[in-house]
Amino acid sequence: MDTMSPLERVLRGLALTLVVVFFMFPIFWIFLMSFQTNETILAIPPSIVFSPTLSNYAALITGKLQTAAGTLDIAFMRNLGNSIFLSVASVAVALVLGVPAAYAFARHKFKGSEDIAFTLLSFRFAPPLLVLLPLTQYFQWLGLSNTYFGLIWVYQLICLPLILWIVRGYFEDISADVEYAYRIAGHSWFATFRKIALPLAGPGIAAAGLLAFIFAWNNFVFALVLASADKQPVTVGALAFVTSSGIQYGQIAAAIVLSVTPTLALALYAQRYLVEGLSLGAVKG
Amino acid sequence: MYEKEKDLISAFLRGEVDRRGMLKGLGAAGLTVGTAGTLFNMMSTQTLAADFDWKAHSGKKLKLLLNKHPYADAMIANLQTFKDLTGIDVTYDVFPEDVYFDKVTAALSSGSAEYDAFMTGAYMTWTYGPAGWITDLKEWINDPAKTNPQYAWDDFLPGVKNSCAWNGQPGGALGSDDAKQWCIPWGYEQNNLSFNQAMFDKAGVAVPKNIDELSAAAAKLTKDVGGGVYGIGVRGSRSWATIHPGFLSGYANFGQKDLNVGADGKLSAAMNTAESKAFHAKWVSMIQESGPKDWSTYTWYQVGTDLGAGASAMIYDADILGYFMNGGDNKMAGKLAYAPFAANPAASAPTPNIWIWSLAMSNFSKDKDATWYFLQWATGLEHAIFGATKMDFVNPVRASVWKDEIFRERLNKSYPGYVEMHDVSAPGAKIHFTAQPLFFDVTTEWASTLQKMVAKQVPVDEGLDQLAESINRQLQEAGLG
Repeated sequence: MDTMSPLERVLRGLALTLVVVFFMFPIFWIFLMSFQTNETILAIPPSIVFSPTLSNYAALITGKLQTAAGTLDIAFMRNLGNSIFLSVASVAVALVLGVPAAYAFARHKFKGSEDIAFTLLSFRFAPPLLVLLPLTQYFQWLGLSNTYFGLIWVYQLICLPLILWIVRGYFEDISADVEYAYRIAGHSWFATFRKIALPLAGPGIAAAGLLAFIFAWNNFVFALVLASADKQPVTVGALAFVTSSGIQYGQIAAAIVLSVTPTLALALYAQRYLVEGLSLGAVKG
Repeated sequence: MYEKEKDLISAFLRGEVDRRGMLKGLGAAGLTVGTAGTLFNMMSTQTLAADFDWKAHSGKKLKLLLNKHPYADAMIANLQTFKDLTGIDVTYDVFPEDVYFDKVTAALSSGSAEYDAFMTGAYMTWTYGPAGWITDLKEWINDPAKTNPQYAWDDFLPGVKNSCAWNGQPGGALGSDDAKQWCIPWGYEQNNLSFNQAMFDKAGVAVPKNIDELSAAAAKLTKDVGGGVYGIGVRGSRSWATIHPGFLSGYANFGQKDLNVGADGKLSAAMNTAESKAFHAKWVSMIQESGPKDWSTYTWYQVGTDLGAGASAMIYDADILGYFMNGGDNKMAGKLAYAPFAANPAASAPTPNIWIWSLAMSNFSKDKDATWYFLQWATGLEHAIFGATKMDFVNPVRASVWKDEIFRERLNKSYPGYVEMHDVSAPGAKIHFTAQPLFFDVTTEWASTLQKMVAKQVPVDEGLDQLAESINRQLQEAGLG
């Protein structure tokens, strides 16, 4: 039964609206900026009324950027493709390696298991700048410099600990009795892992995968140092609009909109999956 | 076919006909611009190749590390000429300026042989050179077997060329006889006034001639132009980049220095002299009265954007920043003008501190001779003329380009006062900092102190005494003071 008075409902609605506006306004403003020229963006005072243009998106997609110093070639779409490829591949590798490892750490206590798990977690503690110089030299010796393989490998420093530790927690929360019951029915441990543990930990794996994807997507420094310009992600590529001949605010806004779209789409999709998984419950009565 | 036209271009390239005469002749012969350009490029290549074996390294490969900049764009636009001339294949990586020097530092400090040559600023070579990451280019410049006789090393503006040479001794004079040429200047920036003529007219303000007039003009512009426009844009972030443009140019004009170099070679802070304190007080007061409200966040980008958008009436910063803001889709495009600026009323001419985009050779390059072929072509006269007349390769570092009538006319037409500004201030233009390994530490702390003064957290006199004390301590700890 709703016990709130009309006044309380109004105040609550107002408060929620204010919170939403506070958090969403910058995104809304960037969205508007992506349809404006530099001149209208920098108009004094700023105005919400303008003639929209698709020129910013056209510049990004065609790779030709008009600046005060003439036409510049930009590789934003390539950067976007690199980000998608590096993030998806890195998370995929981390899931393949991390989920079985997380299951092993959760279910099987063996000598040194905590040390190994903690060592993997410690990858997240080390500042990237601390390990980059030796990594650069190792990569040169191994021939991994400027390769997607090398980058996906080094991205495991970001993805693997996240997935391993988050998913391990989910496995630990699942009652082992369900798995024992399945094993008693004559199934192998691998079948138990595949048919029982994995589906039950699905929401956790999805959450960990999403988090790892966002962290990988946002990474900046690994590709910058370890790869050439043609393998740079969008985080580095977006800086190309800040040139000595001026800042291309419209293109930056359009680049942000395009960059956010894949992550946002994935988050929306995974959110639905997570809610569904959690609402079903792990153990049915 | 086109024999007469080829003869005319050849005569120009030999210096027997001036550029105007050549263009007039080609026009009279009925050549289209495209055909004339093709012929010119072909004849330039032949002339370049006439006295020098440009094919000595044919078949080799080089890789460059470049900053996203109009200078790099001009080079890339003309790169095929070099490939045709030498048979050397050149690839390149271009990175945005925000991260460019991180990439350079990572590549050099790891001893990577990936890049043979790269763009750099002269200040950065004070770190790269002593670390053994880059090569002293004098060996190549002075070797007639490796350098095109038409290279004309003496054609480089002396202050610019010398600013790229240092002997590696803390406090050592730039361009001294024992200096190593760590990089070759490519394009450079002086620091002078770029201003909005219409706003000056509206406020009835004349172009200021010294620091007092500058401060007064900025205050009047802030008061009279209206619409939230402020009088003067200068940088203010906590960075070395706040000190090196207008601030140091004006400071040096009063004969002031960053550091003293003792007879024993020891360094000590020189910012707390009476003259320095007086200049600082005027600078701080000018920003407080007529600078941007969030001055302490201002970098190159904000200073330029405000001028281009009509939010500020003038800037005392890099001349090419004003140049860029006078074009593109900037609201004030075509409305800006330029003037040389000597802060000291007693000074006979400006003494702008300069930033030099240069080309350096990686010490880890696997083929330094071939790399030098690229460097001498990219810093050569033909490419400089190409960049200056067909692209936005300003400011050129060669005296002969500044004498080029087509180039001067192009600037005079769209950038009023720019050529005169350059001519007046070029003789005094050089790096006015003391070359030493703590350059970035000293200048960053200096900027931080300026911020405190502008925010009225510390009086100017006291702030400078504290700064000098701190810098002296750092110099002593580093064994330099």
